[in-house]
Amino acid sequence: MIKRTQRPTAMKVLLIAGLLLVMSGMVLLTLAQDDEGPTPDATSTPEVTTTVEVTTSAEVTTAVEATTSVETTASVEATASTEVTPSPETTPQAAAPAQTVSNSSADQTKPSNEYCLLCHSQPGRTWTLPSGETLSLTVDSHMLADSVHGTKNTKGALDCADCHTDQRFPHKPEPAQTIREFQIERYQSCKNCHEEEYTKSQDSVHAAAINSGTLEAATCVDCHGSHDIQTPDVPRQRISLTCGKCHGAIFDQYRNSVHGSALFAADSNPDVPTCIDCHGVHNINDPTTNLFRVRSPQLCAKCHADEKLMSKYNITSNVFDSYLTDFHGTTVALFNQEDPNVATNKAVCYDCHGVHDIAKVDASNSKVIRENLLTTCKQCHPGATADFPAAWVGHFPPTIESQPLLFIVNAFYAVLIPVVVGGFLFLVLTDIIRRIRQRFGSRAKSGS
Amino acid sequence: MTPEVLPAQEHKQEYKRFAPAQRMEHIILLTTFVGLAVTGLPQKYAAEQWAKTLIEILGGIESTRIIHHFLAALLMGEAIFHGGVISYKLFVLGYRATMIPGLKDFWDVIHWIGFNLGLRKSHPHFPRYNFGEKAEYLAVVWGTLMMAATGFMMWNPIATTKLIPGAVVPAARAAHGGEAVLAVLSIVIWHMYNVHLKHFNRSMFTGKLTREEMVEEHAGELEAIEKGELSSTLPQEVITRRQKRFWPYAIVMTIILTAGLLWFLTVEDTAIKTVPRQDIVIFAPEVTIEVGDAALGESMWPTLRCARCHGEAANGDKDIPSLRGTGLSFDAFYKQVRTGKADKMPAFSTGEIPDPYLLHLWTWLKEKPTAAPTAATTSG
Repeated sequence: MIKRTQRPTAMKVLLIAGLLLVMSGMVLLTLAQDDEGPTPDATSTPEVTTTVEVTTSAEVTTAVEATTSVETTASVEATASTEVTPSPETTPQAAAPAQTVSNSSADQTKPSNEYCLLCHSQPGRTWTLPSGETLSLTVDSHMLADSVHGTKNTKGALDCADCHTDQRFPHKPEPAQTIREFQIERYQSCKNCHEEEYTKSQDSVHAAAINSGTLEAATCVDCHGSHDIQTPDVPRQRISLTCGKCHGAIFDQYRNSVHGSALFAADSNPDVPTCIDCHGVHNINDPTTNLFRVRSPQLCAKCHADEKLMSKYNITSNVFDSYLTDFHGTTVALFNQEDPNVATNKAVCYDCHGVHDIAKVDASNSKVIRENLLTTCKQCHPGATADFPAAWVGHFPPTIESQPLLFIVNAFYAVLIPVVVGGFLFLVLTDIIRRIRQRFGSRAKSGS
Repeated sequence: MTPEVLPAQEHKQEYKRFAPAQRMEHIILLTTFVGLAVTGLPQKYAAEQWAKTLIEILGGIESTRIIHHFLAALLMGEAIFHGGVISYKLFVLGYRATMIPGLKDFWDVIHWIGFNLGLRKSHPHFPRYNFGEKAEYLAVVWGTLMMAATGFMMWNPIATTKLIPGAVVPAARAAHGGEAVLAVLSIVIWHMYNVHLKHFNRSMFTGKLTREEMVEEHAGELEAIEKGELSSTLPQEVITRRQKRFWPYAIVMTIILTAGLLWFLTVEDTAIKTVPRQDIVIFAPEVTIEVGDAALGESMWPTLRCARCHGEAANGDKDIPSLRGTGLSFDAFYKQVRTGKADKMPAFSTGEIPDPYLLHLWTWLKEKPTAAPTAATTSG
């Protein structure tokens, strides 16, 4: 508990220091632009300068020292003595005296992977956190090399210290009390390279949940992995499988839906939506807001109003337009235009078709098949009786066979309106003709 | 209504045409009609930009609908009142039903068109209400009844479908919109031309018509007035006797119709009932499942670390066992994955592979034939 209150201070210190580093780096880069092009060293350049230490206030350094001094010995010793028996050739104190000199963020050199793996490739290494949980410290170097950050990386393989920027040996004590706290602290490294995605993710439901104390909400590494990161959408099924790891109940619904079953079919359908096609990727919005509800028909329309795409599956692309001409759709569209944040109880696509459990419209478990339609209507219209669903015209243009009465009424007015209007116009015209004739004729003839 | 000749005013002789109560009714009709059109048409054409702008000015779609409903109720109230007034005039005062069209009106139209086109020499002698006015009046009567009936069906679809087939509701919606367009266009063309453009006929507001206007538009009535044909009224005792019979009917009918109107307005609220929010379990990493899904297992295999060592086809390698057609029980399989094998296989946490996923995987592996297909071996 005490630690938790300290953590933000430590984080702030790191953030400020990092910010200053980046800023001074940018200044240096602009100054030195003529001499050297922007190289990956850009981030390490500022570390060499002394400006960092000058600008870091006394408060900052003491804070860092405070955290380090209290726990360094204890936790390091604990880890070393209980779980790890360091092999003779990997006693790093001797090997790395340079690192111990500057323990703060102003490290001058970054340790090589080989250096880290001296210890971290040994199987069975664990770290016991204050919470009593143990975290494996063993990293499979092959796995790392095989990941997107490994040898396939077009920008060159990353080193351990590229993500573990603040880790030197001997290690600083970790402020994290639990594995989860440690993970949340660690994923901040992702933003060093993936700033856009990181920033987007900070607007997501997941970040909001973490900020409000629900620490199990997903961070970068929960979806992408850490040492084992693979291309997240290859194969496409990986996307929904990733979400399904936490959202198991919803995943099961989705898996059996018309979309999910096509995705997980032997010849996986490349057109059906995965989770992210509706929910977004990094800035995943809260799907329970009024905004999400009011805008959801457009989400469905992205595919279902696409004539080319729908014709592949012999599905009408008229669904969105016909929805908009219906009472429900008209209202929802107007809400969207006025203020999409206001609650509307008018049905959107998923109120009738289902959310994650959308079935084929002619499947026996479909919410909109004739046999089930009354139950679906009754969700909002509890007093509805057997004939009520027939009041819904459907997504197809009315024909004489499907909606005889509606068809006749439309045809009736399509004839009556022009006839009546034309008739009145004709009568008005004859009156105008007479008035004109009277006015000009009276001059010539002197009236009747 | 018996027109009276008013005393000459300046040089013009004026004829009383509408009583204050009639002019009041017209103002109600005018207001509700325009209001209903302004709030109704943008609902019919909601996708158009002008409609959206208009709805925004009216304070949004909900308030547009509330105004529309309020005006509809007002117009229906006026219709009930008008029915009472007409009944009193016809059954108590014994007036002629001057609005009922007849064969004369048909010939009047032909005659008038002929006159306008110069085929006939004289202007037809229109009665108190000429064919155009009759058409308008009857259109209002028909339109109001039609709009009230179809409006009821849209307002109360549940009550409606308890009585009549559901297909009537969308037809009612189409008719409501069609009739609205018809009414508005008719008013804009016919009414506007005849009482505003041709010359401004103020009689609906002043209650009077000039002699010139009478000659042109109601020559037949003018002749009758001048012959004194219309001045006869029923004796007072007849009226009193009729009144005694009329009032009980009138009161009962008014009560029934007003109650009907109130029922119309309040019968149904279920159509706008909000479904309570449902709680669905969002975070459920360890959802319990009974049966594994082999297809899912197959889909997830290449996405997992397992495939890195055990091979794309799960058929293993030199020291690494093939998992195809695994003989392990699920429990043994589960334990193996979760605890790993010292120096050989890492342990996998539930965060990496949740429990249900393991069941899918195991189900798939167990079903797979022991021999790997050649395609998979070559690719792996």
